[in-house]
Amino acid sequence: MLNAIDRRVLKEVAELEGIPKGAYNIRKNGKLLGREVSANINIETNEKGDGIIIDIKPGTVNESVHIPVILSQAGLHDTVYNTFIVGEGADVTIIAGCGIHCGGKESEGHSGIHEFQIKAGAKVKYVEKHIALGDGTGRRILNPTTKVFMAENAQVEMELTQLGGVDEAKRFNEAKIGAGSVLLITERVMTDGEQVAESRNEIELIGTDSKANIVSRSVIKGNSSQDFYVNLTAFAKCYGHIECDAIIMDNGRNQTIPALRALHPDAEMTHEASIGKIANDQLMKLMSLGLDYDAAVNRIIQGFLK
Amino acid sequence: MLELKNITYRVPESDTDAQSPSDRTIIHDLSFTFEAGGFYAITGPNGSGKTTLAKLIMGINEITSGKIIFNGSDISKLPIHERSKAGIVYGFQHPARFKGTTFRDLLSIAAGSDDEEKLIEIISRVGVCSLAFLDKRVDSKLSGGEIKKIELATVIAKNPKVAIYDEPDTGIDLWTIGPMVELLKREQRENKTTTIVVSHNKAFLEAADTLLLIKDGKIGYSGDLAGAVSILEDSSVCKFNELCQGEENAQCYR
Repeated sequence: MLNAIDRRVLKEVAELEGIPKGAYNIRKNGKLLGREVSANINIETNEKGDGIIIDIKPGTVNESVHIPVILSQAGLHDTVYNTFIVGEGADVTIIAGCGIHCGGKESEGHSGIHEFQIKAGAKVKYVEKHIALGDGTGRRILNPTTKVFMAENAQVEMELTQLGGVDEAKRFNEAKIGAGSVLLITERVMTDGEQVAESRNEIELIGTDSKANIVSRSVIKGNSSQDFYVNLTAFAKCYGHIECDAIIMDNGRNQTIPALRALHPDAEMTHEASIGKIANDQLMKLMSLGLDYDAAVNRIIQGFLK
Repeated sequence: MLELKNITYRVPESDTDAQSPSDRTIIHDLSFTFEAGGFYAITGPNGSGKTTLAKLIMGINEITSGKIIFNGSDISKLPIHERSKAGIVYGFQHPARFKGTTFRDLLSIAAGSDDEEKLIEIISRVGVCSLAFLDKRVDSKLSGGEIKKIELATVIAKNPKVAIYDEPDTGIDLWTIGPMVELLKREQRENKTTTIVVSHNKAFLEAADTLLLIKDGKIGYSGDLAGAVSILEDSSVCKFNELCQGEENAQCYR
């Protein structure tokens, strides 16, 4: 069922050596390649037929769902709407991600829209990795959207990673956080060559004692550019923090625009942002331990994006 | 073993206008030989050139003229990492803080191995940092003392022939300075590490076999502590009180 390219893509985006255990849905070139449900996790195609609904029963713990997407058909621009319903008190890991393998001149793209309805007390770890491979010259385009709606006392941790090969990326993250709920987003993006990446985030702290922590780590090499926008709005007594750091190498360009809006007198919000080259003292330290300049740069970048 | 031959270090004067560029000499025609396995303390007033001298040995700053000979080889032009590979390692006064990099990462680079047992053995040998430090991120959240202990451990993990420590006691609590001195003495004794400590702290000055007093970029004195006491006491008394008096002009003229 899986050819060599599929296996390579799956390994890159989902660290899978083959078909995963537990519930999964593998989409390839706009079509279903394989699906498995479990006693607690149901996956079915939505009514319009343009995506899937992943329904996780209340109280499901220590289970995972893999929903990787493989794109290897020249000229295909695939759009998918997936809905995750995570029941009360569930504690699950969702591994998503898209790998493009481009072998020709035509562009290939994937737009995944993921909506999460997180019920009270549920805990979700969402890991999404984007990568593009192949020797083709066609542009590789990935435009992911996530919409997160959190009820009370839920926790969502999102790890969003794009570490190479993607020519154009427009990401949009939206979240509404209920009382006592916590949202942690860590976004790591590395661009090179002429690549461009944009990330827009609209995060709303709606319930009392809700919390959000948004971390962005960018490495911008070659002539690439990255723009990062985040609007964090507080409607209640809550806590929000934004931390964005960009390392510029070569001729990279970066815009980082963190915005805090407090619409409640008890909102507590902070942000820190930095853009710059690799700090000289870090390089000196690693070189004094015996690494040459290039090895020192690599180690610093590795740590930064870890 | 480590020989500094007529080394001079000059930097462009920053506060002169471009019309008449001039240089400022930080280290002035300085010569000294560090013998293998010795414990040296470099001391002197602020701005005298102590840290600069230490950085010249490591290659963090490049000498303007002169030569640095290490075990018979001229290392004057070698970059930092090659001096490190030759056996010279440097503990920074203000250690770098990273984002994402952990103590384990640094220790593994220094030790050339990420073997858990080996790393634990190094931490036990250093003694001043707990095992719980291993997965701490070396970032801005660490206290001044914690990061200095980590810095010390990374130097020792490299098993240097020459270990240079720039003010190792900065931010370290009083109760740790004694064990830290003991540690450096033990490394000197057991591993024959040539130890060079830039410090004002009496504990390090007393621990040293030889003391170098740097003044205006030159060696004002070299020898044992007893011989330096009168000079140190003399320079600890300010002779410019009259000039400094009054709030209008509270500049230090020393």
